[in-house]
Amino acid sequence: MNKLIWVKFYNNNYYQLILRLNKLGITIYNSKKDKDCILIKIKREDYDKIKKYLISYKTEIYSLTGILKIDWLIKKYIIFIMAIIISIIFLLICNNLVLKIDIKNNNNQIKDLVQNELKANGLTILKFKKNHKEIEKVVNKILDDNKDTLEWLEIKYDGLVMIVNVTEKTIIKEKEEYNYCHIVASSDAKILSLNIYRGVPLKEVNDYVLKGDIILSGDITFNEEVKNRVCASGEVYGEVWYKVKVEVPFKEENIKYTGKNRYNFNIKINDEKYKILKSRIKNYKEKEINLYKFNDFEINLVKEKEYVVETKTLTEEEAYNKALKLAQDKILLKLDKDESILLKKVLKKEVNDSTIYLEVFIITKENIGLLKVTDVAEEDANNGSKPN
Amino acid sequence: MKDLHFRNYFKNFLLDLEDFITIYDENLHVFNYEKLVKLSEKEIILKMNKKEVIIVGNNLKIKQMTNQELLIIGSILKVEFKYE
Repeated sequence: MNKLIWVKFYNNNYYQLILRLNKLGITIYNSKKDKDCILIKIKREDYDKIKKYLISYKTEIYSLTGILKIDWLIKKYIIFIMAIIISIIFLLICNNLVLKIDIKNNNNQIKDLVQNELKANGLTILKFKKNHKEIEKVVNKILDDNKDTLEWLEIKYDGLVMIVNVTEKTIIKEKEEYNYCHIVASSDAKILSLNIYRGVPLKEVNDYVLKGDIILSGDITFNEEVKNRVCASGEVYGEVWYKVKVEVPFKEENIKYTGKNRYNFNIKINDEKYKILKSRIKNYKEKEINLYKFNDFEINLVKEKEYVVETKTLTEEEAYNKALKLAQDKILLKLDKDESILLKKVLKKEVNDSTIYLEVFIITKENIGLLKVTDVAEEDANNGSKPN
Repeated sequence: MKDLHFRNYFKNFLLDLEDFITIYDENLHVFNYEKLVKLSEKEIILKMNKKEVIIVGNNLKIKQMTNQELLIIGSILKVEFKYE
């Protein structure tokens, strides 16, 4: 490859110079004449000939071309180029280095266990991030080694932080056996049914009880004397009363998607979002897909789904039924499977221009028996007696 | 003779023996010159295969130059051949 250079001759006699170059057999690739100098494009090796034979001419290399120019540029900007290369390497290192391990679990023992396991598998701070396959291998290994302790483990990276989500295995403990306990009422109620497995009933069916009243006692008495103490057990169902207040507006707003979608991009820097394109839809809901993430910097693809708000005006009857259902649902949320609503009655109804207000009285059938564990020593101190 | 013509043509193709001058716009291309005898702003004299070529013009310059070829630029007024 010809390495060509521009040579600057500080001379005004263009024709004489060309003739002399011709005599030396130098190939000229281009020539220009300036006010006080002549520029000639020649081969790099011919420049040495000029230096040797045309001593009277004051010359200098004006500009380089091709590889010579690249070589010259590299030499000239070596510090700048090195700085850029070092910066890129530094950025790559930063992007692939783990500076912190965040184990998401409240149990310190589990945290220590996971930390040790990670360390044993080469996942520590100040080490490079591992790829998905390696991570999966480590996760499977840790889970296999700790079958009895760990239920689920997930490792993911967020910037320089390695986030480890861990769930410990929950061992369902058998119902604890207490030595001494009572069954008390969990709320004010009327007892509907009483199934006694152990203990002495202090209340009967159809009795009214207040919250905290002992229904089944763990004290086994004979002739008003406590002979033994057991942990009372049984099922107590009772009528519980609720007063529920609900308010329903006549105007109901429903969101309906039109099916028109637009795509946009946003940049997220330190939890602040900046949209790249202007949104062309007036009312829309967004769905984001992350395209790039580096620390607190994110680029997301945003799907804007257009919607219209449809307003429906309810009749008084519809609003009334809706309010009643709402009141009922409020109570049903509190109930278990074997519990039910026995009665509902509207106590108060107020209709305004825009809303309907209901006060509903609801009776439910609920398990009101609550196990209250009692300390024997405490009980003795309160009563001043000991079982015989 | 056709054979001879072909032989000459092939020889010239291989050895570049023929000389020629091409003029277009303000450029003059000379192929196979022997010597650059004179070079000035108004006149360039070249020696070529038993003849001298005198190029007359204004602001004449050598744009490119090798041992075999020359590219002259400038406003060319006249090209003259002087046979020995």
